[in-house]
Amino acid sequence: MIPIPTITTERLVLRAPCAHDHAPFAAFYASEAAQFVGGPMRDFEVWRYMAEVIGHWQLRGFGRWMVERKDRPGAIGLVGLHAPLDWPEPEVGWMLWDGNGRGYAAEAGRAARSHAYGKLGMRTLISSIAPGNAASIRVAEGLGATLEPDPFEHPKFGTMSVYRHPAPEALA
Amino acid sequence: MSVAIPVLETRRLVLRGPEPEDYPDFKATFSSYRARFMGGPLNAYEAWMLYAAEIGHWQIRGYGMWMIHDRDTGRTYGMAGGWKPAKWPQKELAWVIWPDAAGKGYALEAVHAARAHYYAQGWDGAVSYIDPKNLDSIRLAERLGAVRDVQAEPVDGNDVVYRHPAPDDLAGTQLSHGIEMEIGHYADPLFKPKGWALD
Repeated sequence: MIPIPTITTERLVLRAPCAHDHAPFAAFYASEAAQFVGGPMRDFEVWRYMAEVIGHWQLRGFGRWMVERKDRPGAIGLVGLHAPLDWPEPEVGWMLWDGNGRGYAAEAGRAARSHAYGKLGMRTLISSIAPGNAASIRVAEGLGATLEPDPFEHPKFGTMSVYRHPAPEALA
Repeated sequence: MSVAIPVLETRRLVLRGPEPEDYPDFKATFSSYRARFMGGPLNAYEAWMLYAAEIGHWQIRGYGMWMIHDRDTGRTYGMAGGWKPAKWPQKELAWVIWPDAAGKGYALEAVHAARAHYYAQGWDGAVSYIDPKNLDSIRLAERLGAVRDVQAEPVDGNDVVYRHPAPDDLAGTQLSHGIEMEIGHYADPLFKPKGWALD
């Protein structure tokens, strides 16, 4: 099994998902807040989704982390690199269910992007975002990503806008 | 936190954790009619998600489903092992055999080994949740000594529950010897046909 690395930022820890993240993750997916990321989902569907997040690491060698605040225990979001089957290319994605509006999604997203460009040697990244998800679009734009002309049709999530992140050399 | 998936060896098979290169074989079965009793057929995205979840299950529960390989060729024949996603009332012993590998006793051999492994690790029993129309699977559950448990809670009511013999009812019993004998017959048949029957 590929060990899932832990990444620390100024205010956050990005770590491997584990069994006790199921409760907050399921609460988020039961709510309206999850409408842009495939929700609402039932409890057992969320469990399987979390198992998929972990399995993604083994199948791709990278994946998404549970995000925790340093000053308070408990996962507040899921952020990281995502490229399941038939995805147009690897993306950096974020969902946050606690502490919104404080720049946590951007902070975690930036750390995930640095991991992709640094450790993994990726040359580019996208973020696919549901067109009405204004909060997520603000995060993408805050990270310097720009809207691509062509959207992407997802078999489950429908039409997704594609935001392209600056290349590694543009960030250096 | 990373769980190392154990490797089990049997007479004809090796059971290993699911690997990325085994995915096409998994997808072929789960996107086919063969998967009709296992929530399928699935589209490509669903199949990939389920395969990833098979791997993640190991990390969350500490046990899970192995990929069944031929000992000599490495070819995959299906999957077998422990399964308990959310909503499952009890720990399940589950199996799926690719359609072209059916009828050779591979599921019997793999599940017998998986059950022995989990019992040795301290499981005090297990059930299998089976679609009542899935007669091949019910037959396999019975060959493994499992019996229908009408008291046990099903997953969603579209399944029936078969309860496996508890460790003490299995170890060293005639049942266990019978299973091993059946596996032995698959591996090395006592009566081998000597050519084609003419009539």
